Amino acid sequence: MTPAIRLTEVVKKFNGVAAVEGLTLSVPEGSIYGFIGPNGSGKTTTLRMIMHILLPDAGTIEVLGSADTAAARDRVSYLPEERGLYKKMPVRRLLRYYGQLKGRTIAALDPAIDDWMARLGMQGWDGKKVEALSKGMSQKVQFVAAVISAPSLLILDEPFSGLDPVNAEALKDGVLEMRRRGTTVVFSTHDMATAEKMCDRIFMIFRGRKVLDGTLDEIQAQYGLDTVRVRTAAGAAALAGMPDVRSINDYGQMQEVQLGADPQRFLQQLAARTAVYHFEVARPSLHDIFVRIARPAEVAAP
Amino acid sequence: MKKNKALIVALAEFTTMVRSKGFLVGLLMMPLFMGIALGVSKFTRNATDIKDRPFVVVDRSGVLYDPLRAAAEEWNRGLIPEDGGTPTLPRFLPAPASFDAADDAARAELSDRVKSGELFAFVEVPADALDPEARSSISYYSNHPGYRPLPAWIGSTLNREIMNQRFRRASIDRDVVGRLTRRVDLSELGLVARDSSGGIRAAAPVDRVRTTAIPVGIMMIILFSVLSSAPQLLNSVIEEKMSRISEVLIGSVTPYQLMMGKLLGSAGVSTLLAVIYITGGIFTARYFGYGDAIRGSDLAWVVVFLPMAVFMFGSIFITIGAACTDLKDAQGMMTPAMLVMMLPWMTWFAIVNAPDSPVSVGLSLFPTNAPFLMLLRIAIPPGPPAWQVALSVALTTLTAVALVHAAGKIFRTGLLMQGKAATLGEMWRWVRAD
Repeated sequence: MTPAIRLTEVVKKFNGVAAVEGLTLSVPEGSIYGFIGPNGSGKTTTLRMIMHILLPDAGTIEVLGSADTAAARDRVSYLPEERGLYKKMPVRRLLRYYGQLKGRTIAALDPAIDDWMARLGMQGWDGKKVEALSKGMSQKVQFVAAVISAPSLLILDEPFSGLDPVNAEALKDGVLEMRRRGTTVVFSTHDMATAEKMCDRIFMIFRGRKVLDGTLDEIQAQYGLDTVRVRTAAGAAALAGMPDVRSINDYGQMQEVQLGADPQRFLQQLAARTAVYHFEVARPSLHDIFVRIARPAEVAAP
Repeated sequence: MKKNKALIVALAEFTTMVRSKGFLVGLLMMPLFMGIALGVSKFTRNATDIKDRPFVVVDRSGVLYDPLRAAAEEWNRGLIPEDGGTPTLPRFLPAPASFDAADDAARAELSDRVKSGELFAFVEVPADALDPEARSSISYYSNHPGYRPLPAWIGSTLNREIMNQRFRRASIDRDVVGRLTRRVDLSELGLVARDSSGGIRAAAPVDRVRTTAIPVGIMMIILFSVLSSAPQLLNSVIEEKMSRISEVLIGSVTPYQLMMGKLLGSAGVSTLLAVIYITGGIFTARYFGYGDAIRGSDLAWVVVFLPMAVFMFGSIFITIGAACTDLKDAQGMMTPAMLVMMLPWMTWFAIVNAPDSPVSVGLSLFPTNAPFLMLLRIAIPPGPPAWQVALSVALTTLTAVALVHAAGKIFRTGLLMQGKAATLGEMWRWVRAD
């Protein structure tokens, strides 16, 4: 099957500094693909290149089977990280405008607008001006603008950023609905839990280079069973100075510990220090993997 | 059938601009200015200060006060309208006084009375006022230097009386002198013409409304139409940049389609304004009997020059918007563009005074001026030579195409640039890039 997006050895530099370096990536059609990475790692630049907003300095990008990414414009929708809405425009006029720019007619757009406004709990808001909407509402309008043209590929840059749980839930349902309709969804996020739960495949970019790419299982398998989750009477203090501990992620009531040795030996040592209420050998979470990749570099940075 | 995306952008720009307050302001600006000017002039004409103007006259000639007082009484009687309404001018109330020319204390005392408001002014008439060889002058003292009617009336009334008395002393009949020295008027006429049957049609007197007011009016209409829409493109581009709308748009249309859509939308707004102004102008001209003075050929030239002006200035303002990151940045770059745009406003009188002078020819051939000043020259009979019109159209077209091309390149890169405004050097590099 032809991938929805194929990047081959893509390079993009700004003022001589590489934002994306030799990136090769293939996004399967119909999947939900998560882009993760620290701020400034090249996520948005990659998404913009896929959208033909930026052009790569080297390498090739194919979108929906076409090497001319501009040709696929009408079948690809984009939700930018910072909301791109005309404040003074009424919602329906704005949605019609964005939909028409994707080659759809008003007759085809109006039912889609009504459908999506209802799905996202925004009935009756189509006559309001954008400036009258809350941040969550604006975000949902931006999402509706991206989906009413029934795109084959939907690219969302930080779609859940800054949303309350109710709006985040509504948007998540919207994304899943698009997948059900056959749309390939690519989204970038800093929320590792969302990426774990929603994405078929996850790609991590760090300093412009791909560092992770695969299903959650495949990624976690690379890191093995070197993690334990513990709940003890003494909390994180009990772990201080233990020789087998490589790193600790302290959640207060529970600690996630990366080990450099046999978990059973670690359990014996821990039990000798404090009462152990919970002990679970686990694969590292995506959050933990992310931190393991990004933190050493941050610490090493001047 | 799918619409061209540039047309979709154009329609959205047009609708947004037409619904904006700026459009309403633009629409009302010219009639409002004209209305205010007429209203102010009428108001100031009818709302003159009609407080009495008491003044003291020190007549050292000894013969001029009485005629002046008589003239003042006649003036005051003439102020009361026949229908018994309110006078529109003040009464002049002279009173005699006398003191020596060297008596500064008396002058100071009169000055105090003026300061206190008891008097409005005082006048000293020199003793040798009737002597034709004397060079002394009448002195008028007041603390209202801006008020002209009283000194003007005193000056003309006293001088008329002084002339009368000088002629009488010289035994010359002033009426005869008046008749002999009467000026012969010069009438300005157009040319005698032959009609289709070979008959001679008499030359008509030159009418300033036809030769100046209407041509300038046509030029102002096109200038205001462009001025009301083109600068708004800058705001539109900056808003789209600041709120990242441009990213969404560029995901759907090419930068060139987006820019052309904006230019077409702006051209639509300017055309709508021009149509409204011209229609209003035609009705007004007809009302005042000048309906035939607005020629179809002049309006045809408006159709030629208006789009050129919009595309030239629209490209400039779009470029500024794309090169800047916020309105503050744009202010500095906007000033020279506005100055270029206002050049026709600052120089049209030179064209009206001498439409075929080298300065007028040069100004009207300069591409950014041509849509306004060449149009003005065309509208002023007999119009410029055809080669000058053709050259201005060619130069303006080339400039518009070059500006749109350059703006397209700057727009493509600048639109997504955030954080800092582009320098002129950077913009030049973008224009030269393939």
